[in-house]
Amino acid sequence: MIRFENVGMRYGAGPEILRDLTFALEPGSFSFLTGPSGAGKSTLLKLLFLAERPSRGLISLFGEDLALTARAALPSLRRRIGVVFQEFRLLNHLSVFDNVALPLRIAGQHSGQYTKDIEELLTWVGLGNRIHAKPPTLSGGEQQRVAIARAVVAKPDLLLADEPTGNVDPDIGRRLIRLFAELNRFGTTVLIATHDRALVESTPARELRIVDGILVQMPERKSGASG
Amino acid sequence: MPREKGAAPLDVVIGVMAFLAALALGGVLIAERAAETWSGGLTGRLSVQILPEGAAAPDDEVAAALNLLRATPGVVYAGALSDDENLALIEPWLGDNTLIEALPFPRLIDVELAPGAIVDVAQLEARLAEVAPRSILDDHTRWVTRLRGTANAVLFSALAILTLIAIATAASVAFATRAGLAAHREMVELLHLMGAQNRFIARAFEWHYFLGALIAASFGALAAGGAFAAAGGLDEIGLSRVSFLPPLGLQMVELPWLLTVPAAAALIAWVTARLSVLSALREYY
Repeated sequence: MIRFENVGMRYGAGPEILRDLTFALEPGSFSFLTGPSGAGKSTLLKLLFLAERPSRGLISLFGEDLALTARAALPSLRRRIGVVFQEFRLLNHLSVFDNVALPLRIAGQHSGQYTKDIEELLTWVGLGNRIHAKPPTLSGGEQQRVAIARAVVAKPDLLLADEPTGNVDPDIGRRLIRLFAELNRFGTTVLIATHDRALVESTPARELRIVDGILVQMPERKSGASG
Repeated sequence: MPREKGAAPLDVVIGVMAFLAALALGGVLIAERAAETWSGGLTGRLSVQILPEGAAAPDDEVAAALNLLRATPGVVYAGALSDDENLALIEPWLGDNTLIEALPFPRLIDVELAPGAIVDVAQLEARLAEVAPRSILDDHTRWVTRLRGTANAVLFSALAILTLIAIATAASVAFATRAGLAAHREMVELLHLMGAQNRFIARAFEWHYFLGALIAASFGALAAGGAFAAAGGLDEIGLSRVSFLPPLGLQMVELPWLLTVPAAAALIAWVTARLSVLSALREYY
């Protein structure tokens, strides 16, 4: 499903942030991306959600070689990816409901098709009573849950999350991981970038560890989260 | 899309542009109407002057010319203007002054032709010269041609002004769209990363600028309509207009033309915003 071969990435004429990354994520797999701050985790995620092009190497996404993919075909690839950004990136002028509905509206669905699903999803993440609130009035943890709901609402083929449990208490954190695991059970490939060792240790999933832009081999663990 | 801070100056620019465009358009309508009125009043008419000999025009030449004209096929009326009518004609130019009564005036003969009648002007002129050597025949061709030329000059000047205003409006909207894109960069980038097609993102911007331009330009056109209404009502507040100039107000049937200004402004804003956004989005991966 996702294949990186000798991928390198640098910004402009700066040093290489990622070097010779070679790995594959199988369809329906659940993986963690770990490593110290500044190791290149966010840059790797940017390559995965098609915000940046690699400086060298080959990336294949959903069976498509990105170097050969026409520009016009990129939006449809992006719609198959759900992203939880570390800084949430909610639209402050839209309500919680409208923020979560955004991927579905972009996909061309009408409100009649998704209103009930979104209300159920928001109730599940504990925001059933904040549906009409605007993001600036929410706490950090609530904003994070909105961002997660937005990332999963369209049932993407690939879910990328950057520190998704960083701002929530342990109970909510476990609940969100269960949500990801549920999604994974229905076939979504999940990759979570995190510093949280306890989260990684508690979940039987593969770990990709980056140190100084290089992928470090980790001992093989059982892939596929049990929740 | 939320309204970005600093959007008000664009509304003011579009409002002022629309005001100027509506004034130019109104100018065209007034010039066209004046040309039609003046040339329409002269079509189907001829004038004959019998130049004075000493203090007055010779009565026998006036009578001979009248006889000839009344016998000419196609002429339905020929009559000499009285002294009072002559004075009334020159009063707007020289004023109500007893001195002008002492001036030597030609006698004027007003000739009306049957609708559609074709008169050989050169032949009539030659025949008039035989019976009234001091006569001058004027079929108003030169006057109507010059009038038409002046009206066309006003029309082309107004078109040039309207074109310049359209270019300035498009440039302002393009500049504002770029600024708007920068202000909403976060939102645009997010939509882009979520897989929105460029036209989906452009739609949010183009409607924003379309509506903004429509409202701002409506105010501009409304102000211009008010200015024309005020100019048309000068008589009522005691300011008499110059009698040989056309009335500066617009007629009721002409006012709807001003609605084309906000419509055109909104269309220009819509197209410009769309092209600007699509061009800016091409810079994204």
